[in-house]
This record gives sequence, structure tokens and C-alpha cells, in this order.
Amino acid sequence: MADKTVILKIKRQLTPNGKSYWEEFSVPYRPNMNVISALMDIAADPVTRDGKATTPITYDSNCLEEVCGSCAMLINGKARMACSALIDQLEQPIRLEPFSKFPVVRDLATDRSVIFENLKAVKAWVPIDGTYDLGAGPRMTAEDQEAAYPLSRCISCCCCMEACPQFNEDTGFVGAATISQVRLFNTHPTGKALQRERLAALMGDGGIQECGYAQNCVEVCPKDIPLTKSISEVGGQVMKQALGDMLRR
Amino acid sequence: MASASSSAPVLEHGVAPLRAGQGISFVLRRLHSLTGIIPVGAFLFEHILISNSTAIGQNGPSAYARQVSFLANLPLVFFLELFGIWIPIAYHALYGFYIWYRGEGNTVSYPWTGNWMYTLQRWTGAIAFIYIVWHTYTMRFTGIDLHDHPLASFGKVQGEVIHTPLFLFYVVGLVAASWHFAYGIWLFSAKWGIVSGDKAQKRLLRACLVFFLLLCGVGLASLYSFRSRPIADDDQNRAMIQSHEKPGGQATDRKGAQ
Repeated sequence: MADKTVILKIKRQLTPNGKSYWEEFSVPYRPNMNVISALMDIAADPVTRDGKATTPITYDSNCLEEVCGSCAMLINGKARMACSALIDQLEQPIRLEPFSKFPVVRDLATDRSVIFENLKAVKAWVPIDGTYDLGAGPRMTAEDQEAAYPLSRCISCCCCMEACPQFNEDTGFVGAATISQVRLFNTHPTGKALQRERLAALMGDGGIQECGYAQNCVEVCPKDIPLTKSISEVGGQVMKQALGDMLRR
Repeated sequence: MASASSSAPVLEHGVAPLRAGQGISFVLRRLHSLTGIIPVGAFLFEHILISNSTAIGQNGPSAYARQVSFLANLPLVFFLELFGIWIPIAYHALYGFYIWYRGEGNTVSYPWTGNWMYTLQRWTGAIAFIYIVWHTYTMRFTGIDLHDHPLASFGKVQGEVIHTPLFLFYVVGLVAASWHFAYGIWLFSAKWGIVSGDKAQKRLLRACLVFFLLLCGVGLASLYSFRSRPIADDDQNRAMIQSHEKPGGQATDRKGAQ
């Protein structure tokens, strides 16, 4: 057991516009390791497998329990969270790459701020700001709560966008996560106030129409959010509004 | 982009955020989706399940001729074809290729059913389009004009499907178009929010699969009928045509062929 090792092949890139290259590492195996702990081991002793001294791997991570959304990366070619990627369940050598559709900051760290811009574009919030106390909001039925809760678990990791064949620079597709947030906030009794604006935003270029229903989003989502159902539900809301406006405006 | 580059370097590439309120791609894409069902899909339904099915059975040739005659004598048939078939198919196909061009298939990394279907939808669309262009060219624009000579219909189709390579091309075109339409109904329902739940979508998918098999089954049965009946030779055709025409309407004029 003592000399059992974990082999990792990591795609590295020193600067945002620099050239990428691969480095191979070997770290001692311990039970219950995950990808993040392997990266921590490399940071403690940043030497490649063939004995060359190098720099520690740069990556985003925070909570280490799959609720912050930071450590998303490509692990053996698939978009997923590094903290919940257990070494025991991965084929070796483990290939780690940064997300391919987001600008690389350095190594495995990518700039995923586009999702924040998208969430702002659809006003993914409940409007309660004002100059006086609005009092308690309307009650939500238990049924609505049950539908909304899974949607509220989104951690903005962007796995759904990375895995989507329609999410790329040509389409500028908004991605499943944002569409699902539209559904969440349109379900909310107070959040509903912005429904019209949200749906109108999703009709812009890069909006919900770009979805090709390949359904990778729902497969990769680490939080098991019913993303395809959200796309269908919001797709229906958008169509209803578009056709309604055509007849009534 | 006049930001100072003192702290973080400006990242210039990456996917653009949502352009709320901009562009007309929503209308174009939804129109693509709609034309796939009506009129293009509806026409495929009519073509295979209503028209082609008449060619099946003992009275195949005459029933088929009657059906072609009925269609050819619809009022304003040229405009029906133009606005009901050709323009919608051209739009659906060309915009479809544009959609394909902009997508990035990734079945290698994510080899899941839905993702394969996404890729298959593009390939079946392309195959069906190539087939339809050829089929329209040979059946509508070359050889004997079936609008003027509906009685020659059975023989004209037969003249193609007796050649095994062409018969196989018919089968490939039929299967591709049928799948594209059947799965297209499912995609349409999912994207337009008509069927959204997991269970409901699975149920609809099963129904679409049955519909696909129905289209293929009837299509193949009619192809078999064209292939298996005794060859209607040219003389026989001519005789049938002449017996149904006023003098002067020469059936021997083969426009544009060869």
C-alpha cells in the first residue's frame, strides 16, 4: 500500500494568453483522496513526475463540499467539481484541464464571470429595494416551494455551460443555469414582478432559442437541478409572452 | 474597453453574455422550429402516409395515379408548392445548416443519448436534404411531367426504384427524413414548453418512436410495392396516358430528361 501512487496529467498555462502545456505528477495515494487534495499534495511538493521542479498548480476552490461552485474543471474530459471527484472513482492517469469555453486565468483557474453578466441581464433577483418597509411577502404554496428549492441549489459552477454544444463564441448562448434561474425567480411570488423583463431578455441574441436540447446540462449538473425541465418551462413562458405580445401589443 | 491594465490583464476571448433586447435570432430560430412541423413535417406526413400508401396493394398503380392526379389538380398548385413546400423546406434546411455550423458537437467527451440525438438530428437533416433535392429534381423537374401525366406516376417511380442503388438511396432518405421529423416533434414539444416534465417527455419520446416506425413501415411497404410489381414499360405508360388525354397532349414529350 505504501508505494501506491496517483498519476495526474495537468494542462497548464502561465498567463491568460500564454501557450498551454502538459505536466505529469505523481502523488502518494491515501484513502478517500479527491482531486483537490491531490492538487494540495502537489502544491506541498511541486515536482513533476520526472523530477523537475515546477510551480504549484493554480486552481479555484473554496468550500470543498460542492456548494460554492469554485473548483469546476475538466476531469478526464468531463466538466465537474474537483472537490467531489474522488480519486478512487477516476481512471488514471487523471487528466485535469481548465474549462475550454472560458478564458484561462492561469492553469486550472478560469474566468467564469459571464454567468454573472447573464444573471444580471435576466434580473435574477427578487425586487424588494425601496424607501419604506414593504412588509411580509405573499406566501408560497408548498408545491411551489418544492419545485423552487432544487432550482435554488445552483452554485454557478458553469458545468452545464461547458458541456453544452450550443454554448460557444459563435452563439453566445446564455446557458442552462441562467434559464433555470429565470424559472426560479418567476416562481417566486414577489420575484414574479420582473417576469416580463426576464422573458424579454431571454428572447435577445444568445437567448433561450439557442438551446439544441442535447441535454448534457442536466447530466453534468453536480446539484441535480432539473435543467431541461427548466428550459422547457421557461421556453413555454417565453413563447406565451411572444405570441401574446404579437396579438395584444 | 478603455480599462487600465495595471491590475488584471484584460481577457479578450470567451463567450459573450446574453444580448438582452438585441437581434432577431429568436424569431428566426423559432420559425425554423415551426416550419419543421408545419408545413414541412405535415407535408412529409401527407407524402408518406397518405400519398405513398396508395401505391401499396393490388390497385397500387391506378390508386397512386388518382392520388397524384388529385394533388396535381389542386387549385393554384404552383403556389401551394412554392409557399407550402419549397420555400419552407429551403428555409428549414439552410437555417438548419447555419445552426449546425454554429454548434460544437461533443459526443466524444459526453457520449450520452440526448447528445447523440443532437448530433443525429443534424446528420439526418443533411441526409434528408440531399435526398430531397435529388428526389425533387428527378421527380418534379426532369423526365415526364407528372402534373400533366399523372398516369405515368407509378411507372416513373418504378423506373428509379428498380435500380438497387437508387432503391437503397430511397430507403436511406426515408429513414433519415422519418427520424428527423419524429424526433423533431419531440424537440419541438420540449423547446416550446408543450411537454416539459421528465415522465411526460419520456412518454412522448416513445410515441415519437412509434410514429417513426410507422413512417418507415408505410414508406418501405410502398417502396416494396413499386419494386415488386411487374415493370410498367414505356409503351404501357404511353397507352395509359394517351387513353386519358385529348388529342394533342402528347405523352411522349420527355421534358428535359437526358
